[in-house]
Amino acid sequence: MSEAAFKELKKGGMMRQSEAGLFSVRLHVVGGRLATPQLRAIQEAADRFGRGEIHLTTRQGVEIPHVPQDALAALKEFLATSGVGVGVCGPTVRTVTACQGCRVCPSGVIDSPELAEAVDRELYGNPVPHKFKVGISGCVNNCMKAEENDVGIKGWIEPRWETPACTFCGVCQAVCPTKAIATSEDGRALIIDPTLCIGCGDCITSCPTGSMREEIRGYRIFAGGKFGRRPSLGKRILGVLRTKEEAMAAILAVLDFFRIHGKPGERFGDTLQRTGFPALETFIKVGVGRP
Amino acid sequence: MTTSTLDITGDVCPMTFVKVRLGLHKIPPSGKLNVRLKEEALKNVISSLKTEGHRVTNVSREEGIFLLEVTKGG
Repeated sequence: MSEAAFKELKKGGMMRQSEAGLFSVRLHVVGGRLATPQLRAIQEAADRFGRGEIHLTTRQGVEIPHVPQDALAALKEFLATSGVGVGVCGPTVRTVTACQGCRVCPSGVIDSPELAEAVDRELYGNPVPHKFKVGISGCVNNCMKAEENDVGIKGWIEPRWETPACTFCGVCQAVCPTKAIATSEDGRALIIDPTLCIGCGDCITSCPTGSMREEIRGYRIFAGGKFGRRPSLGKRILGVLRTKEEAMAAILAVLDFFRIHGKPGERFGDTLQRTGFPALETFIKVGVGRP
Repeated sequence: MTTSTLDITGDVCPMTFVKVRLGLHKIPPSGKLNVRLKEEALKNVISSLKTEGHRVTNVSREEGIFLLEVTKGG
């Protein structure tokens, strides 16, 4: 088989193994969720076409290794009957990772799987200058490591202080993990520093009088993160977005920016090092009207 | 009605929560319980009290220790 043919197979999630003639087949998984019929089909496929092994990847993916080249088409067809697609590789939008979100996790602020499915539907496998990863954490506990992704999302609670009932008991300041809350010089107001606030909502949960309220319960976007050979963490962009639709629009705008400014083979974090993060924020705000 | 005081400054989660719960079990609805606790126990104790329908009706502080006045819910 020619190198061009191997590359074409790789694009479709079939990766050549070190052992000649064998492939590891990447499957299409969204947010780490598989239905039991899909799992049964994957098990049977690994037994029939591989060597009875399944590899769980670091990004919630599933791969079936040890598949002979001449069995690839049959494997793909077999899986398709149970609703299991094959994955992607190369310069594309990759597997969208997500935690279980607010429908399952008591800490969850947003419905992570719902957003993951929307991103996957809209963008999975789309061409971009280099691999592009999206990860969604339902809250600031950040199980999905939002800052390690080209675009990461975190569920976020922005607090608002309300004067009337506050007794200045000091509980909110004591529980704040980043010391983002201070008392004004005249002692009559609490000031929340938005640059220090990590959106955990601990001040709201702990406030005995209900003076700390939710201003926004929504989505925080982080851009430019990557791991690999030269790791760097993504940075917060934009304000807290209120709806899934706003979050989706912001992600689409980030991808547009990458397509315009990214060079082939350049990770998005490196693109942002060249352009600066303010250029991205301006692009999104002007182009899409995001806050 | 006498207000009893519970000192959980030497305890860590989950014993902080357990002791407050036991303390409240001994008093009638609308009764008060004072709880002395360290800063690091505040969040979990207050949030669990709220979840169980009790109210923190006063907060004071003495030398880095918080004193919560808890009013038992119905």
